[in-house]
Amino acid sequence: MSNYTTLKTNADPTNTVRSLLQKMLSRDLVDSVMVAAKTPYSALPMPTLFSDPAKMDGVDPLAPVAPFNAARQAAAVLKHQTGKRVAVVLRPCEMRALVELAKLNQCRLDDVVKVGIECMGRMENAVYLEQTKRHPGMVVTFDQDEQLQSLVCPTCRSCEHFQPKGADVVLCIIGNPVSESIGLCAETEMGVTLLEQLGQDCGPEPDQRQQLVDQLLLERREQRKRLFQETSLKIKPIEKLQHLLANCLNCYNCRVACPVCYCKECVFVTDVFAHEPEVLLRRAQKRGMVKLPADTTMFHLTRLAHMSHACVECGHCSSVCPSDIPVADIFRTVSAEVQELYAYEPGRDISEPIPVLIFEEREAKETKN
Amino acid sequence: MNDYEPKIIALVCNWCTYTAADLAGTSRLADPANVRMIRMMCTGMIDSKYILKAFLDGADGVFVGGCHPGDCHYINGNLKAHKRIIGIRKMLEQFGFEPERLNLQWIGASEGPEFQQNMEKFVDTLKTLGPSQVRNCAVL
Repeated sequence: MSNYTTLKTNADPTNTVRSLLQKMLSRDLVDSVMVAAKTPYSALPMPTLFSDPAKMDGVDPLAPVAPFNAARQAAAVLKHQTGKRVAVVLRPCEMRALVELAKLNQCRLDDVVKVGIECMGRMENAVYLEQTKRHPGMVVTFDQDEQLQSLVCPTCRSCEHFQPKGADVVLCIIGNPVSESIGLCAETEMGVTLLEQLGQDCGPEPDQRQQLVDQLLLERREQRKRLFQETSLKIKPIEKLQHLLANCLNCYNCRVACPVCYCKECVFVTDVFAHEPEVLLRRAQKRGMVKLPADTTMFHLTRLAHMSHACVECGHCSSVCPSDIPVADIFRTVSAEVQELYAYEPGRDISEPIPVLIFEEREAKETKN
Repeated sequence: MNDYEPKIIALVCNWCTYTAADLAGTSRLADPANVRMIRMMCTGMIDSKYILKAFLDGADGVFVGGCHPGDCHYINGNLKAHKRIIGIRKMLEQFGFEPERLNLQWIGASEGPEFQQNMEKFVDTLKTLGPSQVRNCAVL
């Protein structure tokens, strides 16, 4: 299949990607592009919606950082049909979350061009800001520099979804030293058309790339398995979990950062959990004491019950935790089991229904405890 | 430990299992005193929070009783409950709760004796498992 092309980067891959996106705008292939870009005030790239190719200087999608999972921002732009065609440039975990949000009717993906990035992980924001001061050309050196790579967050180091799923066009880093080249791979008909319109001559994907992908996948799977085994020992029995959750402030940052926790009003900020003093006093009386704010374990377990099937393992819940609780480790470990039970992989395919929304008599008849 | 009596929260559907419990009562079948029954309009409305709250507050077992598949008063509430509950059970398992502690059964309105037998069996299961892990620690 002829769907792959290589772009020369001349030691400035960011510029290569920027030019490509600018061309999409100037040739009117899309009306707007949402892509991570530096603001004039900080090196931290934020999702930015561009309509004018001349304003795209800050575009920086290859930087190994993501201040949050941008699926939420993409979903805000794609909430309903506007008659405008938008391209969104997203990391694999963001792409997967976007697909889950579409299934939850939070956005529509019919008139969007999905540009995915092969992702080698993100650093925590503070780490990135520190490192980018020391290594201004980090985007170019990152894929060759093991020391820099070791600074990406633990979730990314054990991520097996480094290749975007369901993208129309993928920016391929694997097998391309970005200082020399970046691959462009069209994965849908729309993607093939887009590359044609951009004047790219496509050929087959180099075989050697697939080998590198398989090799990385093996390593990551191994790491992921190890992480899950270790975490599993830390959350069971529930008393051990209490050691992990003891410093939780009930700030709900993890819920805010979670791209698939989509409720407009979370039950934990409603009256259901705004207890009357009598309730708290009764609880204190019953058990002799009650830690305040109450319902810490209840909060995390409820969140798991609500969205473990949809956890895309982006790790942002851990990143935003002020108490350094390994929220993502817990969620990923538990979610993996739940997703296996439902034979569901979030973000894999937009046509794959959310498991709790489909039910058959046959399944229920087979139930025996 | 010999005097251990498990505490069971039973969330049962108004149309089938609750009626079955009623029938068991009027048939003079004695329910184990371990059961605290909560009548729901349908198992489909059993929020995951109800189950989690029961366990985190020290219930040794949670029983969910609904209509047989195909008999739901609301067409498919029991099927929804089933799909949700298998997930919650799997999740609780990861935190060390034995899966048997979350018991889902279909008991029709005419099945009074079945209701009573199920409850006694569940009490036996929980006695074999012993008290819930939550009883031995403070859950924050």
